[in-house]
This record gives sequence, C-alpha cells and structure tokens, in this order.
Amino acid sequence: MPPGLDNLRHIVVLMMENRSFDHMLGSLTAVDPRIDGVTDQLSNPDTTGALVKPQPLAQFQGQLDPDPDHHFPAVDLQIFGGDTSPTRVANMQGFVKSYFNQQQDVGHSQKIMYYFTEQQLPVLTTLALEFAVFNRWFASIPGPTICNRAFAHYGTSFGRVDMNLLYLNEPFKSIYDRLINAIPKHTAKLYYYDTTSSTMEITNLLENQPELFGTYPQFLTDCSTSHLPDYSFIEPNFNDHDSDSGEEVASDQHPDHNIQAGELFIASVYKAIKASPLWPNTALLVVYDEHGGVYDHVVPPACTPDQFTASANDTGTGQPFAFDRLGVRVPAILISPWIPKGTVVDGRVFDHASIPATITKFFLGDYSPRSPRETSADVFIEPNVAPVDPTRNLLSLAAMRDDCPDFDV
Amino acid sequence: MTLIHVPRPDVKSAMNPNRPVNALLKAQVQHLHAAERNLPLRHRTDIYINAIKTEGEAAEYIRQVTEAIHEAHEAAAIKRGRGIAIAAAEGLGDKGPIPSRGKKKSKGKRARKT
Repeated sequence: MPPGLDNLRHIVVLMMENRSFDHMLGSLTAVDPRIDGVTDQLSNPDTTGALVKPQPLAQFQGQLDPDPDHHFPAVDLQIFGGDTSPTRVANMQGFVKSYFNQQQDVGHSQKIMYYFTEQQLPVLTTLALEFAVFNRWFASIPGPTICNRAFAHYGTSFGRVDMNLLYLNEPFKSIYDRLINAIPKHTAKLYYYDTTSSTMEITNLLENQPELFGTYPQFLTDCSTSHLPDYSFIEPNFNDHDSDSGEEVASDQHPDHNIQAGELFIASVYKAIKASPLWPNTALLVVYDEHGGVYDHVVPPACTPDQFTASANDTGTGQPFAFDRLGVRVPAILISPWIPKGTVVDGRVFDHASIPATITKFFLGDYSPRSPRETSADVFIEPNVAPVDPTRNLLSLAAMRDDCPDFDV
Repeated sequence: MTLIHVPRPDVKSAMNPNRPVNALLKAQVQHLHAAERNLPLRHRTDIYINAIKTEGEAAEYIRQVTEAIHEAHEAAAIKRGRGIAIAAAEGLGDKGPIPSRGKKKSKGKRARKT
C-alpha cells in the first residue's frame, strides 16, 4: 500500500471565507500553465457594455466594500449574465453587473474582476505550488456561506439555499456524529478561533454537543502534544474583537476583512501541523466556502441532484433549484509531506460534499444513509484499501519529503 | 528548506469593530439567539439582538451566548454527576440506567435527608 496512506491518521480541514479561485490563485497560471487561472482572453461586460478584464489590482482591504452580493439571485446573475430564459447557458458574464447593482457605480463595479499577484499572497500561493492545488473545486451551492458550509459538515444543506439553517431531526448525520458514534470509535473536533468568534453554521451542534468543540489555542496544543483527533475542522476568526491577548483581527478573509490576517492564520495552521510529531501522519486541506461574489471564469458544472428542492420563493429567482448545479469555483489545496511538489489536480470535480465523503470513506468505509450529493462526490484522499488507484492517489510519494517550506510566523 | 516571509497586517488600520455587521455575522447572531432561547433563564443574556449594528457588538453577543451554552452544559453535567453519585451511594451504581427525572428527584431528596 502507498506509505502516504499507510501513515495517514489525521485529516484537518481549514475553511476560509468568500474568495474565488481566480481572485486568489488566478495569477499562478503565469507560473505554471497547468493551473487554470487568469488569462488575457477573459472579460466581463460592465453596465455600459465595455469589456472589463481581470487585473492584478486586488487590495488587502477596503476594496470590496460593500461586501459583494453572493446570495442565490445575485450568484444566478453572475453565472448566467442575466439570462433568465429556459434555454440559458452559464457564461460567467454577470459579475460586474451584479456588483454594479449594489452601488450603481460603474468604476467601483469593475473591482470585482481584480485578483491578487503571487507576491501578495506568499502563503496561499506557496502552498498551492508546493503541494496539490485543485483546478476544479467548487462551492456546493451557487449561494451564500451557511448553506455551503453545511455541505462540509452534512453532505447536504437539507434543501436550503440561504442563511437560515437549523438541522435538528434531519435525516443525515453530521460527519462528527458519524465518527464519534462509530465502532470502533473515532475522534473528531471542531476548533473555532475563540468564544468571541465562536462557530458559524452549526449552532445546533454547539447547542447540543459542545464537547465536539475546541478553540484554536487547543488545536495548537493538540498538535504539539500529538493529541489531534482523527478529523479536525478549523474555523478562522470571523470578527474583529479584543481579547486577553490583545486585539484580534478577523482572519477569515471575508470581504472586507484583511487578507493578510488570513494569510497569517493559514500559515500558523500549517506551521503547527508541520512542527508537530504528527506531520508524517496528517493531511491538511485549505479550502474556501464560496466565492463571495468575486469573479471566476470557470462555469460551474451540473451535478447529481440532491433529494431536496428549494422552492422558487426560497431561491428568489422565480425558479426552483434541485441542487443539480455546483456553485462558483474556490481555492482548494491539499497539503501533506507525501504529496509531490507541484501537483495540479485536473480533470476531476470536487465540492464541499467531498469533505464528509472523504472523511467517511477513509475512516469508516461504507456508511449509510448519506445524501445523494455526498455519495456521488469525489474524494480527495483515497481509502487505504487495496487496490489503490495510483492515478487518483495524491499522497503518492514513496518517501516523505524533507523540503517542505516553512513560514516565519 | 525554504523559509517564506509572511507580512503582518497593520493591526491599527485592519481592525475595525465599528464596521457595520455583515450578513454572515447577522446570521450567526440569529442562530445563537435561537440557541439562547433554549437556555435556562439564568444563563441568558439581556442583549436585544435587533439593536446589534456593529461587528464589535455582534462579537460581544456571540461571546456571551457561546460561554453561556458551555456553562449550561457544565452545570447540567455537574447535576447529572450528583445524581449518579447519589445513585451509587444507594447501591444502584452501574446496575442500570439513570432513573427518570421524577424518580431521581425523590431519591435525591431521600438521600439528602439521611
């Protein structure tokens, strides 16, 4: 069996907020043409009809204010360019129009096309170039945060496309419930940044199973003392606040929070794992929950419909939604010392339902019931069961790397 | 091994607790408010969530409710522990499930009297 999979004991997922692939990693096409980012051929029309090209002019803060609309009707406009006909085809031509709707300012609306240079994001771009970057990881729904994050925890949003989710008495268990109730028992933890940031989308778990939660300082301790659970999900700091240790700047990268604070946070998670005795046994996925209304050029593909349907009233578009199309593409990077440097995962489609799908298959094998979206989702780590397909296994090195980068955090 | 420099944000300009609360934090406040309604009265805040307008105000509410949820569970666990200790003292120990709430209460009262 591949030694990378043989050694794997811990999977950690860090989910950031509201940035698209092209916005964060699009510049890397110039470094490695296999990475499907920004090119000269891309554009979006503004409301005057002029074509606006993506430009490397993104700023760390203050540029995407107001927060670009990324609720279901706005994302529908971004993906379909305003075409509401039954025969419409997704074309990713409505981003500038959508942002214009918020301020009626043509100049400001063009900023939705801006992206970061490689040098501006030394952490994210280094990790993407050093480990495995996914060319086709999409948000699970063309909609906002809460329903998208639900897919990471439950493999479905139970028919919701909005921010109002309560999961009590739903048919599919969370990935945490599955693990801690398995025989033999597995361990799982959600690490929120601190109690003032708390957890975002799973208040029902906090309310009913607070023992599942830890804080980020606990994560750091669990890394250094080799007490990481089998599965960890990390949430960044969602708000600016004071703490005993001083001023805590939001690190989630949600517009208009500071991008560099998020870079620092990603680096600190990576560094904690890399410095841990568990580094050879751990894989880290860094992924963003949705695109936040920011431009990306890749058309989200159709997908297996969920067993739920959101009503026309719920979608706000006049049309129901059967969860049969993915949301906009987001950055996703898998990190492990067993991954060859410069891996680009292409030709395979992932979304957040891939997270519980991967965790379940790797730790539990078969499990039922799971949502149709989850059971059809691709996995980013192969189950360690023979035969392992070498073309799909990303932790493929015969020997562990000793050249992985460090960050000065 | 390459050491990558990570620039720090300027905290003074990055930090803005007076920023208007965004849709995400608004949703978080509403979810926590729903959870707060299930807490025993003594653990509830007296914060009127419709008056929360800034990120700093949202953060303070989020902190209070999150801590209250943990405290309520800890209080319940302590109470549950007392019930188990009392049952053990009466020789019930691990012989069966914890009695129903009504029965536990009456056994507790009896135990306290002795």
